[in-house]
Amino acid sequence: MAEICYENETMMIETTATVVKKATTTTRRRERSSSQAARRRRMEIRRFKFVSGEQEPVFVDGDLQRRRRRESTVAASTSTVFYETAKEVVVLCESLSSTVVALPDPEAYPKYGVASVCGRRREMEDAVAVHPFFSRHQTEYSSTGFHYCGVYDGHGCSHVAMKCRERLHELVREEFEADADWEKSMARSFTRMDMEVVALNADGAAKCRCELQRPDCDAVGSTAVVSVLTPEKIIVANCGDSRAVLCRNGKAIALSSDHKPDRPDELDRIQAAGGRVIYWDGPRVLGVLAMSRAIGDNYLKPYVISRPEVTVTDRANGDDFLILASDGLWDVVSNETACSVVRMCLRGKVNGQVSSSPEREMTGVGAGNVVVGGGDLPDKACEEASLLLTRLALARQSSDNVSVVVVDLRRDT
Amino acid sequence: MLAVHRPSSAVSDGDSVQIPMMIASFQKRFPSLSRDSTAARFHTHEVGPNQCCSAVIQEISAPISTVWSVVRRFDNPQAYKHFLKSCSVIGGDGDNVGSLRQVHVVSGLPAASSTERLDILDDERHVISFSVVGGDHRLSNYRSVTTLHPSPISGTVVVESYVVDVPPGNTKEETCDFVDVIVRCNLQSLAKIAENTAAESKKKMSL
Repeated sequence: MAEICYENETMMIETTATVVKKATTTTRRRERSSSQAARRRRMEIRRFKFVSGEQEPVFVDGDLQRRRRRESTVAASTSTVFYETAKEVVVLCESLSSTVVALPDPEAYPKYGVASVCGRRREMEDAVAVHPFFSRHQTEYSSTGFHYCGVYDGHGCSHVAMKCRERLHELVREEFEADADWEKSMARSFTRMDMEVVALNADGAAKCRCELQRPDCDAVGSTAVVSVLTPEKIIVANCGDSRAVLCRNGKAIALSSDHKPDRPDELDRIQAAGGRVIYWDGPRVLGVLAMSRAIGDNYLKPYVISRPEVTVTDRANGDDFLILASDGLWDVVSNETACSVVRMCLRGKVNGQVSSSPEREMTGVGAGNVVVGGGDLPDKACEEASLLLTRLALARQSSDNVSVVVVDLRRDT
Repeated sequence: MLAVHRPSSAVSDGDSVQIPMMIASFQKRFPSLSRDSTAARFHTHEVGPNQCCSAVIQEISAPISTVWSVVRRFDNPQAYKHFLKSCSVIGGDGDNVGSLRQVHVVSGLPAASSTERLDILDDERHVISFSVVGGDHRLSNYRSVTTLHPSPISGTVVVESYVVDVPPGNTKEETCDFVDVIVRCNLQSLAKIAENTAAESKKKMSL
């Protein structure tokens, strides 16, 4: 028996293979997903049972070629509509054995957990996006997936962060496919995201669901810390004061640098642009905004820019996990402490200690609206790790929304 | 938009010099308003030794009545002040001098709430003034005056001036720079709203 996962946000491709003795037929059917309106990606797990001697599933190469070509044609003919290609699955059958091996290797599927908590602030203005296999790259021997995660910490209102959650991964994929240079494609996608947000406000088309109910919000923005995981590399692009931290051989390595207005190079850039940093409850651009880069915040341009800082890190055997989180966590928890907490969870020492009713326990700390396991197929240990980090932040009196993504990078699990 | 020029010497000079300097700059920039007694009278503030004052001027291409209908709503400042998330009237009816309101500020700014008292509401002269009497912020003893003036060129000229304590740890220049950003942003939003409203009115009349 093999488990095969399909992912499709707007379309479902159903593949069944039936083999009649000495005849092979492949049937494919496309239908719109009933959960098309769902905000998050959907996964479906289909189980194929093979009975030795009675069914032998085989994909003819010609069928695969034709399907790939047709999907490409569909994508070209409907360029304004986004179709995400379903992950293709190849099932190989040993001619002399009933053993079935599914590709890609189930262990190649990313293990991640998401936790997001409102905290003491009344509104939730954070957003999180996790898109396993958001971009796929065919090689001669196998199909490998790129995985995307992002944390967006909004300020002023939530709609910029929500728009980043909906769109930024699409822009990253488009720009990378146009030019396979991570530095450039990340910079272009962040610029496009910023332009979309500003245009949204200018058009008066923004539909805030908060009590503001106003389209014209030049004074709204968001951080964006984004990571793309490939089989060989970890790419991080950061704009604002959220953060990405890698744990490697038990040690914390920051993959991003916070954009605080008093960071010497940021201070120089702001002053060169004619702005100033005023210390008003901390260093702020013009005394107003506590970060020097953000998506949106049109009223503070050109001092507050949306250009990300990009790091590309080769993956290594000692990589333990990756943490992406908003400053609601990092303001009260150091990189090292966060890594220690997650390591305990991933080694199983905390299993069973995390409450099965986190919402009830959280109430005493003033938390509300806890969102756990926001992804479609989160890993239990990663989920517990991210939840534990949010609880730690609240216990340490964080006054902000807290959003955490934990991705297990170990290869031997 | 235009801001009244504040020469750096005005900050270092005795505080009493600030007001004449501001009025002179104002009159020089807007000669048509130099004879408007409203501007001179309402924008002359008594400035204490540890206070600063400034003014922001915004031209709006909309009739003065349209602009005034937005500005005068003491109970609904968030209509054009986009740093405000909500407002509730906690004393009086919101339409008479002495009314109190509590406003909450959007996230990301160095303030949470402000309690404000309506000091002037003059529908004939188009003057509204409020002072800050409490809240969670660093702007103590803030008092603001906003006046509207008809302009033959653009329709309406809005002048908003204020006086406020300089918070500990900051300079007068820093305090004015900070408040000017907020006021300028508010008046730019006001311009956009009033101009959109006026444009829609014209469209309706032409149909």
